[in-house]
Amino acid sequence: MRRKTSNVLPLTILCVALGTTWIAINASGQGAGYVPSTQKGDWPYYTADLKGSKYVPLDQINASNFSKLEVAWRFKTDNLGPRPEYKLEGTPVAVNGTLYTTGGTRRSIVSLDGKTGEVNWTFSFREGNRAAVAPRQLSGRGVSYWTDGHGDDRVVFVTTGYRLVELNAHTGAIITSFGQNGMVDLKVGMVKGAGEQIDLETGEAGLHSTPLVVKDEILVGSSMKEGMTPVTHNNTKGMVRAYDVHTGKQLWAFNTIPRPGEFGNDTWENGSWAINGNTGVWTQMTVDEDLGLAYLPVEDPTSDFYGGHRPGNNLYGDSLVCVDLKTGQRKWFFQVVHHPIWDFDLSSAPILADITVDGRAIKAVALPSKQAWLYVFDRVTGKPVWPIEERPVQQSDVPGEKTSPTQPFPTKPPAYARNYLKVPDDLIDFTPEMRAQAKDLLSRYRVTDRPFNPALVGDEKGLLGAINVGNAGGGTNWPGAGYDPETHIVYAQAANSSAAGMSVRKPPPGFSDLNYFSGRNDQPFREALGPGFGTAADSPLAKTVGRPQEPPPAPAGGRGAAAGGGGGFGLNVDGLPIMKPPYGVISAIDLDKGDLKWQVPYGETPDNVRRILTEKGIKFGNLGQNGSVGLLVTKTLVILGDNQVTNPGTHPRGAMLRAYDKQSGKEVGAVWMPAPQSGSPMSYLAGGKQYIVVAVSGGAYSGEYLAFSLPENE
Amino acid sequence: MNLRTVVLTVASLALGALHSNLSADATRSVWDGVYTQEQAKQGQPLYNESCSSCHGDNLIGQDVAPALGGGEFLSNWDGLTLGDLFQRIRTTMPASRPGSLSGEKNAAILAYILSVNQFPAGKTALAQQKEVLDEIKISASKPDKK
Repeated sequence: MRRKTSNVLPLTILCVALGTTWIAINASGQGAGYVPSTQKGDWPYYTADLKGSKYVPLDQINASNFSKLEVAWRFKTDNLGPRPEYKLEGTPVAVNGTLYTTGGTRRSIVSLDGKTGEVNWTFSFREGNRAAVAPRQLSGRGVSYWTDGHGDDRVVFVTTGYRLVELNAHTGAIITSFGQNGMVDLKVGMVKGAGEQIDLETGEAGLHSTPLVVKDEILVGSSMKEGMTPVTHNNTKGMVRAYDVHTGKQLWAFNTIPRPGEFGNDTWENGSWAINGNTGVWTQMTVDEDLGLAYLPVEDPTSDFYGGHRPGNNLYGDSLVCVDLKTGQRKWFFQVVHHPIWDFDLSSAPILADITVDGRAIKAVALPSKQAWLYVFDRVTGKPVWPIEERPVQQSDVPGEKTSPTQPFPTKPPAYARNYLKVPDDLIDFTPEMRAQAKDLLSRYRVTDRPFNPALVGDEKGLLGAINVGNAGGGTNWPGAGYDPETHIVYAQAANSSAAGMSVRKPPPGFSDLNYFSGRNDQPFREALGPGFGTAADSPLAKTVGRPQEPPPAPAGGRGAAAGGGGGFGLNVDGLPIMKPPYGVISAIDLDKGDLKWQVPYGETPDNVRRILTEKGIKFGNLGQNGSVGLLVTKTLVILGDNQVTNPGTHPRGAMLRAYDKQSGKEVGAVWMPAPQSGSPMSYLAGGKQYIVVAVSGGAYSGEYLAFSLPENE
Repeated sequence: MNLRTVVLTVASLALGALHSNLSADATRSVWDGVYTQEQAKQGQPLYNESCSSCHGDNLIGQDVAPALGGGEFLSNWDGLTLGDLFQRIRTTMPASRPGSLSGEKNAAILAYILSVNQFPAGKTALAQQKEVLDEIKISASKPDKK
């Protein structure tokens, strides 16, 4: 419904004259002059608030009634694009009972009535080839919201083709006064090499995460393609920029790869700053409004597993950087991985937490990670709250590679999931035979007693790879963790069993200018594309994926037969993961003490594990599921859903959305979902009633936002 | 015809009808030889060309795309039909150019996937129509023989 603006000005003057606050008479029913806050039951940011907490102080839905939740409404994203989407990862924002989010293969924007799921408006933008070749596709993680507090309410988001756009939140109309006709071309100013502007259409830059809106500024990160088999080390250079929310004018830019004369440039030896890229901020940033500081979690430099073209520590790759919100000037930084070659991108929002340690009040920042370490710093000074020690690690023997002799190891809190494979303790142990088989399998790999085991040149005749845990998927990946500001507890779900052998190989002649990248010499070369790559609405049909491939050998047999139809797939023993359960965990970390408060398995035992163990007559409890998912924290509950479909007999085939008691970790309720959680859950009030919305999708089930609420009589 | 014959005829006709109804409703599964060796052989180079860059050599998967074989894959699709899987592939894959492969090619790739998962081949090739493939259940474990 369109809001009449003509009534507003005289009324404003009248009310100001009378010294009263006014509420605009408004046909849409949405009161103008509304400032959202989680205190009011809104969810105004991707992470609920600017501090990354994912916390909303609601308890209408609690342990006594969670299992009675019913589906209030559902919104399918199928037709927001030319074909359905099967990887819906958005978390809506909620303002005064209205939801705003992305959806569909076009990354359209929708506004929904939070009570019914009815569409208020939609917005879509055909970007053509620019979106089709974009590195980060599908609908991404959502939108952001801005208001002047007086009824000028806007939705702010980044398109697939990497443009910053503002829409009128009430009508979905483009704010033409912003940028150029409502858009800022974010590719302008993105460079590669020593400063060459990337092509506006085909240049590699994009984003999945939501822009950060704070006061009258918009902070935007950048993302490139997955870095396993890049065609060049001289890729687009990542950066973080701030824009004026009214005009779209760029306020500042922070170079995550320092230029000559800038601090840190010498950590790219032999002038390698000029021939490397990536090092973007592809995940959510956070801001301390009072201190005027922004926290930037930076990813890997180009080529996630080989750094021979960039000797040196490569600042600010894999670093947490604190910058001045107004100027973008660096205040402090901490590099979490030196000379990054493990795909340990900083993957989620740094959580701002005000804690008390040994009687001392500290304004802290707690950074979850793929390594399942929570790095905790004084967010003003950058000093670690508990010592982080430089310890010696395995060195690489890949030609041209020069690894850092040491890496940072936090002393507290302890890792909240496994980040290396401890032999034999972490190996499968349902039976002694299985453990023996696991040890046998591992004899083909290099195993270390700590993380940061660098890739090796894998070969059938020698070692197949270097065992690492958690690199691509975590630990904690993009969904991040949550925080309870009342109890100072971080809640983090984490993958706990992603063991893989990392190996590199020479690219096929002519494919890449890198000397080595991800792969193995005895395996045919496959270009590794990112999730969802090429799935955008206008992907050219005629285009062949990748480049000419080598002809494949006959399928390798005898990798270890799995029970029931299968053959052997991956690092497994009799079809079971090589790491013993729990396969995934939920941890509560007390930041005042630096300790684990509780840790429970995440989700429930996967079907194939259940079947194999049952066939073998082996008893088991809840073994948990692998994977990284987001959670939601309320006054009494931690809420998150399974990322796999199961059919255990105790519920219909599907995934469960589960609630855990915040204090104890005990599962206190669960409701059925038809498909796995694929986006992080959120909660809000609409019409005085509490709702939980979560994106589900996967397998044969296309993307859907599923909303739960209590039945009327509860 | 005497009454007894009529009754018997009617009875056997009714039973016959009932029997054929049961056959029509009886769900076949992937264990019943639902594709041919030839079809799977055609599917292999098609898989390598269109699918392996994301789903890996020998369907093993990578972090960018899941395995198309093995316990976890079969668990995810257990209880659904080949029609569901075929439809998913047909409309959204390969990721870089969805819907670009013909029904025949998609069926061949699906046959190859079934063969790598060690489901038995048989005399009938996989159909290309979702509705027909909906009659074949994906069952992670071999159903008990009746």
